[in-house]
Amino acid sequence: MTILDLSDEQRAVAELAREIGMEVLSDSARAAEARGAVPDTVWQTLFDSGLTMPVPEELGGSGIGDASTLLVALENLAYGDAGITLAAVSSGTAALLLARHGTGAHDDTVKRLLTNPHARSAVALYEAHGRGGAEFATTIAVTDNGLVRLSGHKVAVPFADSAEAFVVVGVDATTAIPRAVVVPRKSSGVNVRPYGPTLALGAAAWGSADFDVTLPADSLLGTVEDSDTLLNSVSLLRLAVAAIAVGTAQRSIEYAAHYATERVAFGRPIATFQGVSFPLAEAQMRIDAARLECAELAAALDTSHTGSIDLVGKVSAAVAYATQVAVEATRTAVQTLGGHGYIVEHPVELWYRSATSLSTVDNDPSLSAYQPVL
Amino acid sequence: MTVSLSKELLDYAEALKDWSIKQCRPHAREVDRSHALPTDWREIMATAPLLPDSLPDGHWVTKLVTYEAIGYGDMWALYAMNNGIGQLVVKALGTPEQVKRWNDPVEQNGWVTGFALTEPGFGSDTSMVATTAVRDGDSWVINGAKIYCSYGAVADYVVVFATIDPALRGKGIRAFVVEKDNPGMVVTKANEHKLGIRGWPTTALAFDDCRIPVGNALGWSNGELPANLRGQAAALESLSVNRPNLSGAAIGIAQAAIDMTADILADRKSDFSAHRWSLISDELAAMNFTLDRGRRAALVAQRLLDRGQTDRVAAATAKAFAPENCERIVLRCMQLLGPEATSEELLLEKWYRDLKIFDIFEGSGEIQRLIVARSLVGKDA
Repeated sequence: MTILDLSDEQRAVAELAREIGMEVLSDSARAAEARGAVPDTVWQTLFDSGLTMPVPEELGGSGIGDASTLLVALENLAYGDAGITLAAVSSGTAALLLARHGTGAHDDTVKRLLTNPHARSAVALYEAHGRGGAEFATTIAVTDNGLVRLSGHKVAVPFADSAEAFVVVGVDATTAIPRAVVVPRKSSGVNVRPYGPTLALGAAAWGSADFDVTLPADSLLGTVEDSDTLLNSVSLLRLAVAAIAVGTAQRSIEYAAHYATERVAFGRPIATFQGVSFPLAEAQMRIDAARLECAELAAALDTSHTGSIDLVGKVSAAVAYATQVAVEATRTAVQTLGGHGYIVEHPVELWYRSATSLSTVDNDPSLSAYQPVL
Repeated sequence: MTVSLSKELLDYAEALKDWSIKQCRPHAREVDRSHALPTDWREIMATAPLLPDSLPDGHWVTKLVTYEAIGYGDMWALYAMNNGIGQLVVKALGTPEQVKRWNDPVEQNGWVTGFALTEPGFGSDTSMVATTAVRDGDSWVINGAKIYCSYGAVADYVVVFATIDPALRGKGIRAFVVEKDNPGMVVTKANEHKLGIRGWPTTALAFDDCRIPVGNALGWSNGELPANLRGQAAALESLSVNRPNLSGAAIGIAQAAIDMTADILADRKSDFSAHRWSLISDELAAMNFTLDRGRRAALVAQRLLDRGQTDRVAAATAKAFAPENCERIVLRCMQLLGPEATSEELLLEKWYRDLKIFDIFEGSGEIQRLIVARSLVGKDA
C-alpha cells in the first residue's frame, strides 16, 4: 500500500478494512465457505462498518462515496477473505446502482438495503461466452404499452437463491445503449439455477439466471441520456472484482514469503534460494502493477461522470490482468509451501481456489490468450 | 530420438481409457466428497481390461501409457489400481530374501505398500530425515514423525526412512520395513485433508519406540547393514523412475479437460462472436500441442528406462514439463467456459485441484529444475 499516495481518509479506511479483514473475515473464511453464506455476525460487522455498502450521504447512505476509496477497502478486506468480501460488496453495489440510477420508485428498496442487514440484492452483470463484463446480449425493451421486456442469461449472479431482487444490466433492444432494470427474484419468468458448492467463493452463493420477464415501467433504472454514467457504475463493479483479486494475491505472497524465511532446506532458509524468492518477487511486481492500474481507472471514474468506450476497454484489460496475476501469485504461494500448501492446515490452497474462481468471471479471450508455461 | 508405440499398446490404451470414462469417472465426485475410494472399488477395478501378454513396448513405456489412459477418466482409479511404491525400495535395497518376502507378495497377492519419507520439517531436502533408528540387540527402535505417507494407514507394510547416525546426514539414512499393526507405529491422521486427490490416502504416522526385527532393515545381511548402502539414493531412485508416469496421468486429466471443454463450447458456438470463436479454436489447438510436447518428454524418459538407462535428467524434464502446463490448461478451460465451470456440476474444478499435486509431490517442479540445471552447470546450481 505504501506505493499509493492515499488520502488520510483512505488510509483510515485501509486500516479499518485490514483490521476487519484479519480479525474477522480471515477466521471466518472456512465457515463461510462450508455454509455457502456469510455468518450473520460477520455480515453485521461489515454492515456496520459501511465498507461494503458504497452508497454515499448525498444518495441517502453513509458509506464510501468514491471508487478509489472503495477499491482500497475491498483490497484490504479481501486480504482477509475474498469470498466474504465478494458477497458483501455484491449486495452493496446493487444498492449503489439503485441509489445512483434509480428513481423514486426504488427508494424503499434502497432504504431497506441500507438499514436492514438481512436484506440481500445482487447485480446480474456477467454473461460468459467471452463477453467479459463489457458486452451484453441481454436485451431490455420498452413496449408500446409502456411495459419493460427483459430477456437474457446471466452467470455468477450472487445470492442467486436468496436475493430479494436483481439489478440486471443489458442493452436497449433497439439502440444497444446500456440499460438496467430491477427485477424481483420471484417474478414470473425468472429462472435461477444456484451452482451449489463451487471451487471457491461459496459465500457469494453464485448461480445462473435466465430472464424472460415483463416488468412495470418503473423497473427501469436511469434514462437513455445517462447510460454513460451507468457504464461508469458497471466499471466500478468490475474493478471491485479486480481489487478483491489483488488483496487475495497480496496476502498469499506475504504469507508465502514469511514461510520461506522460516522453512529450512539444504542447510538454509528456502528464501535464500532465488528459485523460491524470485517468483515471489515477480508476483509482487505484478500485484503492484495491477493495483496501480486499477487505482488509476478508479480515479478516472471518480473525476469523470461520463463513461467512455475507451475507459471500458481499459477496465476490461485491468480486470483480466489483475485476476490472472492473482491466480499466478496464489499458485506461487502454494508452490512455495510445497506439500504444506496442498493441505487445509494452511490457507494458501483457499486463496488459490479463490483467485482462480475470480479469474473466470470477467474474461474475454481477446484480452488474455492461453500461453504454455514451458 | 522419437518413440513410437505398438498398435497393441495403442489399442489397449484406448480400451483402458474407455473403461475409465465409463466405470471410473461416474464415481469421481463421490471420491472427492467422501475423501475415500468407492466402497466397491475392488469390484470396479476387476472390470478393467487386462494387460495383453505380449506387448512389445517395454514395462515403463507401457506403464506410462496406462497412466494417461486411466487419468483421462479420473485419477482416483490410478491410485486404486496402484499398490504404492514401497516395494520399489525393497527391490532397490533388499537382499534376495527380502525381495522374496516383501516384493513378491505385491506382485502376486496385491499387497499394498506404504512409503514414509517426508516429515513435518522437510520435504525436498531428503538429507534432513530426523526419524531415528537405533539398534538394540535383535531389534531396531524407530522414533519420529512422518507425513504424506501414501497408503500409510492401509498398507500391508510401510517402508520407513530413518537415520542410524544423524551426524552422517544423508549417508546415515536407511530404509526399514514396518509391517502393518506393528506396535509403536501409530496412525495420527489416516488421510490428510487436501486440496485435491482426496481419495488418495496420505497418512500422518508417528513412530513411538517402534520396535522391529533387525532383519527388517533393507539390505541386512550377515548380521549387519553394509556401510555403503544408500537409503537416500534408493528413495530418490524409486521416485525418479515413477516421475514420467505422473506426468502421463496429468496429461490424461488435462486432455479430458480440453475434450470436455471443446464439446461444451461446440454446443455454444452461436453465442460467441466469430472473432472470439476463432481465438478459442486456436487456443484449444495450442493446448493440444502443449500436451503432445509433454507426452514426448515422458515417453523418451521411460523408453530409456526400458533400455536399462536410468536417466534422472530425462525423468526430471518429463516431470517438470507437463504438470504446470496441465494446471494452466484446465484453468484456461474454466475461464473459457465461465464461472459455471467452477461448480461441482462439472469435474473441471476437481481436476484442477487434483492436478496441483503433480508439481509438488514425488519431487516438486523446483527440484526437477535443480536436477536439469545441475546437468548443465554441475553442483553450482
